[in-house]
Amino acid sequence: MMKTTKGPAVIIMKELCKFYEMGEEVVRALDSIDLDFMLNDYAAIMGPSGSGKSTLMNIIGCLDTPTSGRYELNGQNVADLNDDALAVIRNREIGFVFQTFNLLPRLNCLRNVELPLIYAGVGPEEREERAAEALKQVGLGDRIKHRPSELSGGQIQRVAIARALVNKPSIILADEPTGNLDTATSHDIMEIFGKLSDAGNTIILITHEEDIARFTRRIIRLRDGKIESDSRR
Amino acid sequence: MKPGKRQFRYETLESLRMAIFQIGANKTRSFLTALGVIIGIVSITMMGTAINGIDLGFEKSLAMIGYDVIYVQKSPWSTMGQWWRFRNRPDLKTRYAEQINRIISTNPQSELLLAVPQISTYQASAKYRDRILEQIFALGTNGDYPRTASGSLTTGRFFTPGESAGDEMVCVIGDDVSSGLFPNESALGKTIQLKNSKVRVIGIYKKQGKFLGLFSFDNQVVMPVGTFEKIYGKEMFVTIRVKIRDEKQVVPAKEELLGIMRKIRRLPPGKEEDFSINEQKAFKSQLDPIKNGIAMAGIFITGMSLFVGAIGIMNITFVSVKERTKEIGLRKALGARRRTILLQFLIESVMICLIGGIVGLVTAFSITMAIETFMPEFPVRFSPVLVLASLAVSVTTGVFSGLAPAVTASRLDPADSLRYE
Repeated sequence: MMKTTKGPAVIIMKELCKFYEMGEEVVRALDSIDLDFMLNDYAAIMGPSGSGKSTLMNIIGCLDTPTSGRYELNGQNVADLNDDALAVIRNREIGFVFQTFNLLPRLNCLRNVELPLIYAGVGPEEREERAAEALKQVGLGDRIKHRPSELSGGQIQRVAIARALVNKPSIILADEPTGNLDTATSHDIMEIFGKLSDAGNTIILITHEEDIARFTRRIIRLRDGKIESDSRR
Repeated sequence: MKPGKRQFRYETLESLRMAIFQIGANKTRSFLTALGVIIGIVSITMMGTAINGIDLGFEKSLAMIGYDVIYVQKSPWSTMGQWWRFRNRPDLKTRYAEQINRIISTNPQSELLLAVPQISTYQASAKYRDRILEQIFALGTNGDYPRTASGSLTTGRFFTPGESAGDEMVCVIGDDVSSGLFPNESALGKTIQLKNSKVRVIGIYKKQGKFLGLFSFDNQVVMPVGTFEKIYGKEMFVTIRVKIRDEKQVVPAKEELLGIMRKIRRLPPGKEEDFSINEQKAFKSQLDPIKNGIAMAGIFITGMSLFVGAIGIMNITFVSVKERTKEIGLRKALGARRRTILLQFLIESVMICLIGGIVGLVTAFSITMAIETFMPEFPVRFSPVLVLASLAVSVTTGVFSGLAPAVTASRLDPADSLRYE
């Protein structure tokens, strides 16, 4: 089950820096990061708070741009794209899973999962079909008409994973996906990620729980904006 | 369809759906927000309705004078306040009508059809047994009068040219005179007393209503010129009513009549006219400033109320953007572009305004219906133009008030927004 073969690189980061100015002081949130992710990587980014992992995740997710350095996603340098171009990249290349789930409470599961497809310009029938398929993949095929308020935390996070999957992104980016879940549910969710990885998806998750990171095949540790260690299993 | 276009359509549909959700989820807030627009639209439409009503009443009145009749008189209508400027002009004579007709008949190209004399006084009174009506309008004319005047008869007939030429003591009376002197019986065939003379009623006019709410054709007594002169003397107010061939050719017709009158009056070239040629347009030019005044005041007031309403909507949309910061961040993370977010909030504010506009229109329409039902005298009129104008104003208000918050929303940083609690 453990794959060690390296596919082609999906993400290449070279001397990536992100500085924030806090008054007089310059905070080096990311300080010259060199990091690659291969196709079908299943990696965890770890580190104490303030280590720069949120900043890194924002840049990987194209929610933010680096101060300097190179960030290539699927062969495209996205370091200096504008807002709208980044939106398109996020829509096509990245599937987000958040700690706080971030489903829209007014919409049922199907509509929530459909959202990225709307922004991709997919027609209504195909949208519904693909959303239902994604929900089936996370084991919620029978809950498609439910609203988030009618589901448990674990189920809600599975809907969010379905939403991340639905547009067939290059990477799935999960930010503390189990942070709001109990241990048993967390393990359920990690099992789903494991299955998705086995199915060929590239998954990057950010966590501070060793227990969760152990489910992945690669652990990257950050400290003070630099990579402390990067180990594959 | 191009992919971009298709995407735009899906995004718009999604925004519409979200707007409906949002408005439905915050009903009280949406209603209070829309209230400003509702009030604005009600005042706009009521104002428009009133102006339309004034127009309608005016048109009705003008139809009484006739669009195809021009009037030769001592003074012009448009300067009625300055009678003293014209009082030294020589009086007109009823025989001018005959002279004009003679000249018209020699000119086959004439724009004029027929001239009819009219001599009148507002100071007449009519009596039947012990009933007296004061301040009636006595009018002397000839058998052609009906061709130049509005109004048809309920019973009886108009006097014939023969009766007119013979100065017979006959008259046709207006509805108010008829009902005033003969409340319980038919006036037809009765003899009424005008000053010291007895005149037989041979016809009764249908009720016509007031002209501009000032002057009524219903209290007139119409009789042959000779009869009038026998009763009231010749020193009364003379008008020559001239029917023209085509109401669109008023200007050349007036020119022609001017020439004819100058000839009759023997005015040498270059000398100023000592008579005036009047037409219904003169009233219009008097009424237009009043109407415009009402319209200007109305636009100002409604503009203010809409402006206040728009600021309310802007405020609430800003609150809504703040509340939904996280949703905006999520949508951006999922691939929503700036214009998508912009559109979503714009659609929401436009929809609130549009709903407000429609509610306002329905309210205004109900008020109009109520006025028409309970106060039929009050001139109001609803029009499709008003509906379109109100809806256009609503949409504009929505765009105006939603734009700033929507732009703010569209520019939010996705990473920060996602972290917003």
